[in-house]
Formats: sequence, C-alpha cells, structure tokens
Amino acid sequence: MTVPKADDPTGLPVSAPNIVASPAGRSMIRVRGMTRVYRMGDATVHALSGVDLDIEAGEYVSITGQSGSGKSTFMHLLGCLDRPTAGTYELNGQLVTRMTDAEQARIRNKNIGFVFQTFNLINRTKAIDNVAIPLIYARERRTRDRAMKALEIVGLKHRWNHKPSEISGGERQRVAIARAIVNEPSIVLADEPTGNLDSRTGEQILDIFDRLNAAGTTIILVTHEMSVAARARRLIHMADGRIDADAPVTDALRTELLQSAVLGAAHFEGHVLTSSAAGIKNKKN
Amino acid sequence: MFFFRIVMMSLRGLQTNLMRSLLAMLGVIIGVSAVVSAMSILSGAQKEIAERFESMGADQMIIATGSGRRQARHVSFDALKPEDADALIASCPLIIAAAPEFQNIAQVKHLQKNKQTQLLATTEAYSSMNDYQPAEGRFITREDDRAERKYCVLGYEIAGDLFGNLSAVGKRVKIDGQGFTVIGVMEKKGFLGFRQVDSQVIIPLSTGLKKLFGVKFVTMITAQAKDQELLDAAILQAKRSLRAEHRIRAGTPDDFQVFTREQAKEQVADFTQIFEIVLYSIAGISLVVGAIGIMNIMLVSVTERTREIGVRIAVGARRRDILTQFLLEAMVISCIGGIVGVVVGAAFADLLEQWTRILHTFTPPSAVLLALFMAAGVGIVSGIYPAIRAYNLDPVEALRYE
Repeated sequence: MTVPKADDPTGLPVSAPNIVASPAGRSMIRVRGMTRVYRMGDATVHALSGVDLDIEAGEYVSITGQSGSGKSTFMHLLGCLDRPTAGTYELNGQLVTRMTDAEQARIRNKNIGFVFQTFNLINRTKAIDNVAIPLIYARERRTRDRAMKALEIVGLKHRWNHKPSEISGGERQRVAIARAIVNEPSIVLADEPTGNLDSRTGEQILDIFDRLNAAGTTIILVTHEMSVAARARRLIHMADGRIDADAPVTDALRTELLQSAVLGAAHFEGHVLTSSAAGIKNKKN
Repeated sequence: MFFFRIVMMSLRGLQTNLMRSLLAMLGVIIGVSAVVSAMSILSGAQKEIAERFESMGADQMIIATGSGRRQARHVSFDALKPEDADALIASCPLIIAAAPEFQNIAQVKHLQKNKQTQLLATTEAYSSMNDYQPAEGRFITREDDRAERKYCVLGYEIAGDLFGNLSAVGKRVKIDGQGFTVIGVMEKKGFLGFRQVDSQVIIPLSTGLKKLFGVKFVTMITAQAKDQELLDAAILQAKRSLRAEHRIRAGTPDDFQVFTREQAKEQVADFTQIFEIVLYSIAGISLVVGAIGIMNIMLVSVTERTREIGVRIAVGARRRDILTQFLLEAMVISCIGGIVGVVVGAAFADLLEQWTRILHTFTPPSAVLLALFMAAGVGIVSGIYPAIRAYNLDPVEALRYE
C-alpha cells in the first residue's frame, strides 16, 4: 500500500510500514525499569538506571540529552543491539528481552530500521547493493525491485548504480535511510542522522522522516540539536541515565527549542527543556 | 540463494582488494600446484613403469648379483659369471633360455659422427627371448661369441644417428677406440624393460668382457621358464643350480638374487610410495603456509571491517550469518587458489614433459578432486578463527569502531 502525501514537494510514494497490531491497551514499545550497567575494570557505570517508557505506533519521538546521558545506550537497547542488565522491553506485545539472539536479529531485520550519523554504508558496493543488505539477511529472493523502490522513496533512484564514494553526504544518508526502510519496518531508529550534514541537507533528511512518519512509521530520533528535536511531536530528555522530561512538542515548545538552537543549543539544552516541560513532566505516572 | 549472495559479496570484496587477495592465495596456489604436478608426474611415471613391465616377459626371471638383503655385505659384485647361464640351461629342465648381460656406457664413432650410448654385451638368446629382431642384417650368433668377433648390432635410433638413411650393415664403427663391423640393425622397439633399446649397441658377450671391459663377470642374467605357470618352480631350480655352481655351503646366504616381473613391480611400487610420501609432505607444508596466509588476511579483514560487521548485525544479520560470511570468504579465497593451483600444476607437469622429453605425465581426475578438497579444507581451517572473531564482536562496540 502506498500513501502519497499531498504537501510533499517530491510527491514520491511512501510505503506503509509493517504495523503489527498491539494487544489492546498495550503500547507498541513498552519499557519498564530498563537498566544497563557497564563494568569497566573495577568501576561500574550506570548508563541507564530504570527507564520506563511507552511509545505508541506512529509516534515521532526525539530523544535529547548531553553526551553520557544514556540516550545512545537507550537507543541500542530499543534497537535490540544490546541487552539490558535489568528491566523489560516489549515490542508489539512480544517480550524482546526474553528472545534469543536469532529472534532479536529477526526483529532488527523486519521491525526496526537503523540510520546512523556516519551513514555506515559499505563503500565497495553500489547504492542498490547497500540498500539490499537487509533483504539478503531476510532471505528474500527478489531484492532488486524492492531495493529500487526504497531508493525511489528517498528520491535516489537515479543514483542506484553509484558507490557511496561517488555521491554527496546527503545522498549517502538517503541511501542509508533507504536501507533502513527496505524491509518496511514499523520503527526507524535514527542516531544523530543530520550530525554530519549541513543544515540544508539535514532539512531534506528530516523531510524524509516526516513523510515516513506521515505514512505510519514510528520515528525515534536521537539528537542533541534542538532544531532537529523540534521536528518531532514528542520530546524526551535524558540525563544521568534517566528520562527527566517527556513532553509533546507544542508550538510554544517548538519556538523555544528553535530559539535555543539559534542561541546555542549546548548551553541552553537542559535548562530550556526542564523549565518548559516541568509542568507536564511525569504526567503518565 | 543466501549462500550464493554471500559468495558473490565476497567475490566483489576480493576484487576491490585484488593484490592482497592474490597474495593470500599464493600459498594455496603453490601447495595445490605442487600436489597436482607431483601427482601428475607420479601417475605418469607409474603408468610408464607399468607399460615397461608389460614389455618384460611374465615368464622371465632376472638374476643379479647381491643377496637382496642389506646385511649380506660380503657379497661381491662379480659373483655372476658368464658360464652361469650355460649351467642354468644344463641343470634346470624348466629353464629353456638364459641371456647373460654386461652393460656399460661407450663412445661410438663413425667418420665424424660421435655418440655416447648404452653398450650391451650379450648372447644370441637375448634377441629371441625378448622377441627383439634385426630389421636388417643379422643378430649375434653363438659362433660370433665363441670367436670373440668384433661385430656389433646397432639399435634403430643409433643406426639412424650414425648413418642417416644409408645402410649401416657391413660398415665399420669405432667403439671406445676399437674397430667393429656392423652386422645388423635392430627393429624399432622403444623400451625393453627399463632400457631404451633403440639407442643401444649390442656386441658379443665374450668380445665385450675380454676386449673392452676386461672383466670376468656379468651384471645380470635373464632366464626364461618353460611356462609362466612354472616360473616359481624354475626359480627354485635356478637357485639350487647357482648355489652349486658358486659352491655356497648350506646355511650361507645366496650371493645372487632372483626376481620376477611381479616382484620388481612391487619394489617399484614401494619406491614410488616413499616418493609419494615425501611429495605430499612438501605439499602439506605449503598448504599449511597457505592456510596461515589466508588466516592472516582474514584477521586483517575482520578488523578492518569491524564497523561493517556492526552495520550488518544492526540491519538484521544473525551472528551465525556473520560467521558464515567470513568462513565462506576464506573458502572462496582458498578455492580460487585451489583452481588456479590445479591449472598451474597441470600446466607445469605438461611443460616438464615437453622440456625433458623423457618424463611422461598424466593428471588424474582424482588429483584435481583431491586438490580442490584440500583447498576447501584449507579455507575452513584458515577461516574459522577469524570468523569466530567476527562472530564474537559486540555490535554496539563494532558500530563505534573507528
């Protein structure tokens, strides 16, 4: 099923994701008491200390926080690349934390798409072969057509035959997004997807996320740039391995975020958020 | 399908690192080509040896000096006398013919043409026993031998070398400086036993012993039994007769040895087996070196591609898929090396045949199969450790790897 979007300037079709109906009353993502402790020599580092979070299907969430706040660790756990030390993680009603490595690999393959800051394309192969990699691990037979379709969604069909070294940074990230969505996952996890791009190219990437979200894909975006975070419809702020703010992005908050982005995000980041979100913080509890 | 894609993927990877891949393959190429060329040479030689044995009569025995046992060092090399052949005929009813032989290298000259070749001093019986007949003129007779005549019979090839298209019969040649008259030219025969007889010059036994070599013994006697079935009985008679002739007391070992075609075959087989073991050891060592080479490259590759491994896991590769990928990649390298090695080895054996013109080689299909199996084995052995390294990578760490 394709969902053309009226206000999309490229007018490209976007595929509907694999949305598995959650059991009634259950969120798509349901995290309870998620803790991740690293042992570094004699010291133990609490990267994540007891996070509770629910994300519904179709949400657009950005996770912000300073480096060391645990946002990357949290994203790796949500992406089934790591296992929590304690706590549970349910995805579409399935208890991911109980799954075997192979079952988790299947989740990463079918339900989750990763987009990285550094694109992480394989440089020796063409764009289309990079996009097709998840299909290969899904043991799909006809990979070419589907990879081509994913490239079409990100507007890079004409670049299918180019190697990553032959295209621009923005184009590389679009190839990476095509790779993330080729299996039509229900969730796209993006870790600083615009971090290595100039702001104009970054906008184009964020436009693609908007379109994907409009077609039903859940987007979880980790960033420390407030202007990027402002694109989401829900903002989560992390500090010291905990969620210290969780708020819908209202127009007022968006303005504030964009202002802080202009003034210098690094300085204002924590302050702006906590002050703005104070009133609605922990509204779920 | 999945495996095919993985193999295609690693082929593309090898293409980008062509030089490195070739270097990694080198050990396997050398090892496999060593195995293939060694097997080609060996099986060619075995085939050849088998054919030569066929040219040696199944009803014949060869009597040579020496006891065939190592401890019998007291046995002298001159134990066999020319008279022994007559004694065998006289005292062994089962032996119908015996030809004593003395063999040496000699210089044969006619006008300006000069050849170094095999010289065989023997008797009349040699021709009939081996079914080896003169094409022109006649063979040596009993009379020539008794009179110690300086007559000679030329092999087919040496006659051509010395006289070209002209008839050699009646012409004079010099053998080690002494004048001989050519009385016959033999038919084209190729090999008789292990001797290339076409380039051989034959003279009467007593002429050779007295006038050329100055000795009173022969190097061997070929004796023919009445019937192939009676060969074993004939050997017993021959032994008894020779022990009596040489006055060997009871309890003392023989000063001669008797062997048949079948026994000689076994001895050669033993020898080629030793040869085989040595060759395979060398090939084995180079394959081990080849495996280390591939392992080294694969370890480098795993480290270099740490991030790629992280990405593959992130997009849904199971750890087992990663293991499979690197294992297959090592196998692709070594199997390509194996195929190249088979071609190089077979070509090398072929070249050897052309250069030497003596060696006959034959590449058996079993050699090709064995070589490819070994290459695949090398791939598994060399790939397993790097693949396990890749398998054990933590995806989060791998994605952060610079």
